[in-house]
Amino acid sequence: MWRQWLLVGVSLVTAVIVQVTLLSRLGLPGEAPDLTLVTVVALAFALGRMAGAVSGFVAGMLLALAPPATTPLGLQALVFMAVGFIVGGLIDPRDRTVPITIAIVSGSVAGATFVVAVLDALLGRVSVPWDHLGGLLVASVIYAAILTPLVVPIIGRLARKLEPVKSTVIGS
Amino acid sequence: MKSSRVRVILVALVIASITVLILDLRGGRGPFSGVRLVAESVIGGLERAAATAVSPITGAANWWSTVRDQSHQIQTLTTENEKLSTQLREQANDAGRVAALDGLLKVAGVGGYTVVPAEVIAVNPAQDFSWTVTIDAGRNDGIEQDMSVINGQGLVGRVLKTTATTATVVLLVDPTSAVGARIAGSQEIGIVSGTGDQYSLEYQLLDPRADVRTGDALVTFGSKGGRPFAPGVPIGEVTQVQGTAGQLTRMAVVRPYVDISRLSIVGVVTRPPRTDPRDSVLPHVSVTASAAPIPVTDGSTPAPLGLGGSASPTPSVAELSPSVVAPSPNLIQPSPAG
Repeated sequence: MWRQWLLVGVSLVTAVIVQVTLLSRLGLPGEAPDLTLVTVVALAFALGRMAGAVSGFVAGMLLALAPPATTPLGLQALVFMAVGFIVGGLIDPRDRTVPITIAIVSGSVAGATFVVAVLDALLGRVSVPWDHLGGLLVASVIYAAILTPLVVPIIGRLARKLEPVKSTVIGS
Repeated sequence: MKSSRVRVILVALVIASITVLILDLRGGRGPFSGVRLVAESVIGGLERAAATAVSPITGAANWWSTVRDQSHQIQTLTTENEKLSTQLREQANDAGRVAALDGLLKVAGVGGYTVVPAEVIAVNPAQDFSWTVTIDAGRNDGIEQDMSVINGQGLVGRVLKTTATTATVVLLVDPTSAVGARIAGSQEIGIVSGTGDQYSLEYQLLDPRADVRTGDALVTFGSKGGRPFAPGVPIGEVTQVQGTAGQLTRMAVVRPYVDISRLSIVGVVTRPPRTDPRDSVLPHVSVTASAAPIPVTDGSTPAPLGLGGSASPTPSVAELSPSVVAPSPNLIQPSPAG
């Protein structure tokens, strides 16, 4: 049980650090690839919706705490948690083919980006660049589709290695 | 894990995040500022370590985006540079044209000539032994045959023939051209004709006893109706006097004011001045009556002399009345048309 949470913690911290220090600084067009959220989805796939929800919460908190973030604590946590919970229980692991996986990851990244933008606007915190939002969403979908085949299998293999028996049944 | 426990945990997480969100949004030193500080310093430390590790990658990425930007920038700058240098060249050219036009306008203004400006667009090759140029104004601009062509320095020539949009100008230095000229100040008249050498003209004085000196300035004395030559246009300066006083004819070499190798903007005199500008158009109006006493008939300025390109053999201007045309049969009449 604790190994599972170790995996969640280590992979999310790694994802956040890599995203902030490396991916955001590559100067890629559109927004930076959302490695953290892809990792949350991968964890939800591997460990179920319960662990997915907790992973989302932790990831959102970490992202909000990692400098230079200025987003309010809890906003991304709430959204990512919902994503983790929904994705974790969305589909039976045996039915997951590669295209479906990629579609789910891309869809959840785009959805989360959009919802965070809407909530940010509702809270009146930042002026959301609505005219660029379409481009941002397209970019985030493309990056998520690229990251999925790299992240999801690694997380899945690690999860199976750590908890060989329970890895696919936890939280279902 | 039981379904009820899942629900409990989920609800707890939702409540936790919303609470945190609300508390954090209140701003100021909220209850999380301490947590935030600690977390930020921990994650920040990790970020610093990671940044060192990934610096080659981000450096390469930066380098690549810099290269991309630079190649784009180079392209932009090259295009801009080309455009600007073209503009600069045009500007230098324009400055020359402006200066030429300015000089022309000054001459036209002082002399009272009505001019149509035009630009030299073609020059007859010198192998032809005829000195003619083409200008970019023609009949449509009101230019007709036998009009004087001037520029800021002085007389250029006269219009030989016209088309609708261009005109051919015989230059002063063409061997076939001849123009009635008058020495500024002394009023001695004679014929200036081209020699085919662009820096020297021949001046034949009608009065063999006339007093001609090196440095004397020549102006046209004008033809009937201002054609082919308007009165008062500067021609050139005497550089050499040949023959002694009292010979049958006296000759002088005149250097034209107009440098025909550098012709650009010229003006075609479509209407001569109402009154002869006399010597006022000369570049230096310091020409005084020192050379010879200027005979004054009645104090009024004589009108343009009615001499259609032919010179009157009258020895002195004093005997010329404005309306009198007195060609003498014993003198060969020079024809400016060649």
